[in-house]
Amino acid sequence: MLELIAASRTYDDGHPVHALKPTTLAIGNGEYVTITGPSGSGKSTLLNLLGLLDSPTNGGYRVSGDETAGMSAGHLGSLRGRLFGFVFQAFHLLPGRTALENVELGMLYGPHRRAERRARALRAIEKIGLAHRAHADPRTLSGGERQRIAIARAIAGTPRVLFCDEPTGNLDSANTATVLRLLRELNAEGLTVVVITHDPEVAVAGTRTLTVVDGHVEEA
Amino acid sequence: MRPADLVREALLSVTRFPGRSMLTALGTVLGAAAFVSTLGLVSTLGQQVSASFDVRRATEVLVQPQDQGADTGWQSEKSLQRLRELNGVRAAGPRVLLDERPTTRAIGVPVQGVRLMGVDPPALRVIGPALAEGRLFTEYDERNALRIVLLPRSVADQLGVTRTQAAVFIDNEAYTVAGIFDDVTRRPEALTAALVPFRTAGKLTSANPKRDVIIETAPGAAQQIAHQAPLALKPEAAEALRSIAPPDPKTLRREIEDNVTRSSLMVSLVTLVIGTVSIGNAATASIATRTAEIGLRRAVGGRPAHVFAQLLAETTVLGALGGAVGAFLGVCVTSAVSLWNGWTPVIDLRLALVASAVCAAAGLVAGLVPAARATRIQPVAALQR
Ligand SMILES: Nc1ncnc2c1ncn2[C@@H]1O[C@H](COP(=O)(O)OP(=O)(O)OP(=O)(O)O)[C@@H](O)[C@H]1O
Ligand SMILES: [Mg+2]
Repeated sequence: MLELIAASRTYDDGHPVHALKPTTLAIGNGEYVTITGPSGSGKSTLLNLLGLLDSPTNGGYRVSGDETAGMSAGHLGSLRGRLFGFVFQAFHLLPGRTALENVELGMLYGPHRRAERRARALRAIEKIGLAHRAHADPRTLSGGERQRIAIARAIAGTPRVLFCDEPTGNLDSANTATVLRLLRELNAEGLTVVVITHDPEVAVAGTRTLTVVDGHVEEA
Repeated sequence: MRPADLVREALLSVTRFPGRSMLTALGTVLGAAAFVSTLGLVSTLGQQVSASFDVRRATEVLVQPQDQGADTGWQSEKSLQRLRELNGVRAAGPRVLLDERPTTRAIGVPVQGVRLMGVDPPALRVIGPALAEGRLFTEYDERNALRIVLLPRSVADQLGVTRTQAAVFIDNEAYTVAGIFDDVTRRPEALTAALVPFRTAGKLTSANPKRDVIIETAPGAAQQIAHQAPLALKPEAAEALRSIAPPDPKTLRREIEDNVTRSSLMVSLVTLVIGTVSIGNAATASIATRTAEIGLRRAVGGRPAHVFAQLLAETTVLGALGGAVGAFLGVCVTSAVSLWNGWTPVIDLRLALVASAVCAAAGLVAGLVPAARATRIQPVAALQR
């Protein structure tokens, strides 16, 4: 479903950084992929390409068989909104909006009307077990709760793939376990999950592990 | 994304931090307040001017020579007769104003300087003193140039004169107080002078006597009489005389309104420009602190156009709210000032709508640059911390 074809990414401000060397890689529906590797090796670069947040410098990337190179920013945006959900190490919840409103924001640019967005947001919050905190300001939530709200935001629009960049990087082991259980449940329901992690406990949770070293991606 | 969603998002962003938003919109608040309050006060005042415009002053004409030293034939009975025959002249008479004279109630009592005003009975009728006691001048007094005097209350009090028929000494000559008056209908300068018959004043020497003719006209005739009077008084050289008539109240009102309206619009416009710049600046500055939010919106499917529209909607909403708050303040100011002065406030609510709309447009313009800048934010850069 996701296919990188000899895709590479070079950052060039002053002198070029080959963050991702030419990589060919396919991720099928329903996989649970973990990505590990040293800091600065190119994990986030890889994830951003897969999530259409960034485009390869060379090579191609197909999503459901469609080549994405040459698509407009707007087209990429709606594709991303429809198919992908994102969870980041820094939760990126908007202050001054309730947890529920933050979850709704994940579907703002999608096809659903307001009432439907609210219903889906409530369902997602229930799923991650924070229904009782739906109307709380995220600043009053614990780190673990915030990350679960961020996961609810990512899944409320029923994406096909969930991308997580160090989702447990700011969490203690108890909260990490909760998040891992959630990801496993979601994967069991058919959601494709791609997770970057430094944490060996998280790394073994997946069905497939990729290791990135110095811009080279290897199957473990 | 639907327009309603866009507006709701903008309102959410703007109203979640009301203090910051109000500071940002302060310029438009002030602009709208200035606009609504000044225009409101102008129409209130306009109403007031026409309501309380002094109809008496509007029936008054003064004729002066261009050159005070020249001949005085234009003040002669013959000239005045021609003037009095004009249609619309109710009363007309000559005056001569002399400089201050040492005046006292009795020899040995402190001396006051009092200006003398010589008036004949018709001129006195134009002035219209409101007598507290005594009598006005008669033709007899005038013909015989009697040494009698009419005193305004304030001058009488200064001199210590408490009753009529008392004597006052002007330039060491005794005059009999014929009357004391509290107020005048026209020529308020009579309230600080001693009035004597025209001929009596004519016999006194003075360094530079000022001569004029004062006329009471029928209502609405002032402009026309002002035009005709010099010719009636001095047919051989009408241009040597100059008429002063009060401006037509309608013209006056329009002039005042036009002037004030123009300067009010200037002030509002300048404030509005400042308001636009301040909204634009604040929006541009806030982009830096909102890169993560904008990146997130892009990540969850927002297109660059969505980001553009959202920021534009925010500054527009901000401008509209600022305009509405300012318009409300302006209405309050107009009402408060009117109440304070006992006027009837004239408030055109369309002004408030115009102010809000103009401020919304200012917000829209202010948002263009920051919104265009925000579309260049790449989701990747924004989201990695
Ligand atoms: N926007 C950028 N401009 C220039 N260089 C970049 C940019 N983003 C990443 N890099 C460089 O590309 C390389 C790979 O970065 P990347 O963020 O993918 O690493 P990572 O494996 O995610 O590291 P970490 O575990 O610390 O998050 C690094 O050398 C980094 O400095
Ligand atoms: Mg990284």
